[in-house]
Amino acid sequence: MINSILTGELGLAYPIFQGGMAWVSDAQLAAAVSNAGGLGIISAMNLNAGYLREQIKKCRTLTDKPFGVNIMLMSPFAGDVAQVCAEERPAVVTTGAGLPNAYMKDWLAAGIRVIPVVPSTAMAKLVERAGAFAVIAEGGESGGHIGDLSTLTLVPQVIDAVNIPVIAAGGIADGRGVAAAIMLGAVGVQCGTVFLCASECNIHENYKQKVLNAKDIDTIVTGKRLGHAVRSIRNPFTRKYARMEYESTTTGEELEELGVGALRKAAVDGDLENGCFLAGQCSAMVHEIRPAKAIIETMFAEAESLLKGAPAWVK
Amino acid sequence: MSTYETIAKLLAESKDMDVKDIRPDMGFAELELDSLDVAELVMNLEDELGVPVEIDESLRTIADLVAKVDKEK
Repeated sequence: MINSILTGELGLAYPIFQGGMAWVSDAQLAAAVSNAGGLGIISAMNLNAGYLREQIKKCRTLTDKPFGVNIMLMSPFAGDVAQVCAEERPAVVTTGAGLPNAYMKDWLAAGIRVIPVVPSTAMAKLVERAGAFAVIAEGGESGGHIGDLSTLTLVPQVIDAVNIPVIAAGGIADGRGVAAAIMLGAVGVQCGTVFLCASECNIHENYKQKVLNAKDIDTIVTGKRLGHAVRSIRNPFTRKYARMEYESTTTGEELEELGVGALRKAAVDGDLENGCFLAGQCSAMVHEIRPAKAIIETMFAEAESLLKGAPAWVK
Repeated sequence: MSTYETIAKLLAESKDMDVKDIRPDMGFAELELDSLDVAELVMNLEDELGVPVEIDESLRTIADLVAKVDKEK
């Protein structure tokens, strides 16, 4: 077994988080991952407090294991969903798109472990100072909103910058990625793309097929012009967006308008033309739809085998 | 160099701006600084001045940042 502070203090069987992905990470997926021994995470998305509270309650009917909630701090409902978390007390809250400082006091008082996703050492230091239990250092290989650094360069720099545990994320799809993350000094991993193809993931079948059919170079980053770089799988929508993004006559408002609802169109409607299929560079490493339990167990069996074989490299 | 001049210099360097285009009353949003940019600026400022700077919701403009730093000095 691979043990770390995540298996010890959070009571996980495997040091793996399932990423909080909008329109993807619902109670059912989170419960499946938690039941499999990882930490399932419900995404609060841009929806209101009522939605999150309902998902938390549903998750508690499906698992008695620890689970988390991810809050997108730019959501207009961020304050409300933060309050729901303080009341409902999930084991972990992860955050993205901003600094969670305004909510830390209430969350810490509720006994929640706050673990922000950070794309830089500066963010990591600031959230450590605010009381974060750990950070998730997410490199640009990941799907969705991304920072500038790769996982391989970001993780060790964040580890050097803070004294709290660091979880690696971005581009991890199998045991090799887990073993590499451990060797970098991470205490565990967060994965998103691999769980898109979990049996318990409720996204449209077209989305899963996009991931399964992806080749290594099939993801593209768009939205840099707006300061919100996003990685997704190429399709007519990304081609149109990329073209407009690089035309000087396109306004920022036009780009924002084009992106509205695109993720929902992918995840719920399976709209191959107009949907935005967020996924990471490791999409091509996902080959089948499997239960979350099989994904996690296979990944960690491979990681354990690799780590046990590591001494063979040193003469 | 005053606190404001230090902040303006750091901001100009990191965002590839002209110092002359920065004013104390400018908000972070107006300067197109997101939370990541503000975090970088604060960390660079701490390294430069050796003074801890706490980020909270009251920090919205360059003048707010100047006031916070001067209070810590």
